[in-house]
Amino acid sequence: MEENSNPVYKDQRYGQSRELLYSYDENGQYKKDVGFHGEPDRIILQQAWDHFNDRIEDARRRVIAGKVSPIVYYMEKFLADPLNLSMMAGISIWKVKWHSRPGVFKRLSEKTLKKYADAFNISIEQLKKVE
Amino acid sequence: MIKLDFEHRQAGHCESGVTRNLLHYHKFSISEPMAFGIGAGLFFSYLPFLKMQHAPTTSFRVWPGQVFDRATKELGVKTAIHTFRNPKDSMDKLNEILEQGFPVGLQVGTYHLPFFPPEYRMHYNMHNMIAYGHDNGTYFISDTLMENLVEITYEDLMRVRFAKGAFAPQGRMYYPTFVPENIDIKPAIIKGIRKTAYNMVGIPFPLIGAKGIRYLAGRMRKWEKKLGPEKASYYLGQVLRMEEEVGTAGAGFRFIFGAFLEEASTVLNQPWLKEISVEMGENANKWREFSYLGSRNCKKRGKPDQSYDFLADILLEVANREEKIFRKLAKIK
Repeated sequence: MEENSNPVYKDQRYGQSRELLYSYDENGQYKKDVGFHGEPDRIILQQAWDHFNDRIEDARRRVIAGKVSPIVYYMEKFLADPLNLSMMAGISIWKVKWHSRPGVFKRLSEKTLKKYADAFNISIEQLKKVE
Repeated sequence: MIKLDFEHRQAGHCESGVTRNLLHYHKFSISEPMAFGIGAGLFFSYLPFLKMQHAPTTSFRVWPGQVFDRATKELGVKTAIHTFRNPKDSMDKLNEILEQGFPVGLQVGTYHLPFFPPEYRMHYNMHNMIAYGHDNGTYFISDTLMENLVEITYEDLMRVRFAKGAFAPQGRMYYPTFVPENIDIKPAIIKGIRKTAYNMVGIPFPLIGAKGIRYLAGRMRKWEKKLGPEKASYYLGQVLRMEEEVGTAGAGFRFIFGAFLEEASTVLNQPWLKEISVEMGENANKWREFSYLGSRNCKKRGKPDQSYDFLADILLEVANREEKIFRKLAKIK
């Protein structure tokens, strides 16, 4: 039965890279096989990416509506959360949250903007707007 | 320009694969499950207060670097480990070690790795790979997740080695410097099994080991009521992703550990380990069943046999089985 084993597919049914997978069959033998992941693994990866894309789209809409600053959009696009971003940019987490207000964001100094831009690997001009 | 004569072999888990490949280069061959078992890589922890990608962290692996550290220590292999503050220093040191003729293991973040499959590019700083040569700003890399050898540029390598965030690698590099001849692996195997058993049933903390699995099962029953169907299914997906995704070779390393026990029973000449490896295999298949039904749940085909209660029951059964297995293993002599 499929749900009782770790199926390894030889054709490119799901995924893009062939990985080494271990399994245990009904004869009591451990096997290792190089192949593609099965369907369950695909579903859970797809779910994660759907979730991320939803969040990015939602953040984009809120930035355009003027509810939050572009930092939130780039943070979601970078798959980060405030804690993660604060570690990457070297800015404390409270400040990161404070800077997500559009009014506060407008008054930020070049130096702080540069820190964010470096963390996202984009230019300061790009940081100020969303595409 | 230097390119060492390095044999690349794919592995189920990045770190035990790196350990195996590095030791193999120094003319000491063990299988990947062996390296994993001696390094006591099997683990479980559920940390609801630590959010990773907007969901609680579930971990099936030990702290990054521990498999290599433990395995080499138990085998009596001398190693060198460096971390750095300055990215440039770390690259100079890497060149220096490569020119001395040692392949070097590196801890990297996966988000900026250019050769990585795009679907796996998330912020995950516990990946391991080996550099075995460089030529004019291009580095030759053996990544055990990939089928073939790959290359990476100087700038990209520097960026991934200094990825920021949780568990930041800080340019961590490690390599064996001296491998003794005639290593006796028997005491190392026994120590590895004992340490794994301690990790799974011995630590007096409710979120770790078999107790952690039970705790997760209890939490899982409340998810749908507490968080709503959308978020609950995402939380479940996160658990499954940690269990099945990048480099666990399926079922959160349980398959590798079973293969290790099977091998250990022949090396140590203790037939009861073979019986336990059979139990471990059945237990691993139970984990697979959990992820199969769980993924059905994630796809929103809500049938009664895929509800959270049902999944939690499977987890409880798994926890009981693992507790039994590791209580037996703790008595190894």
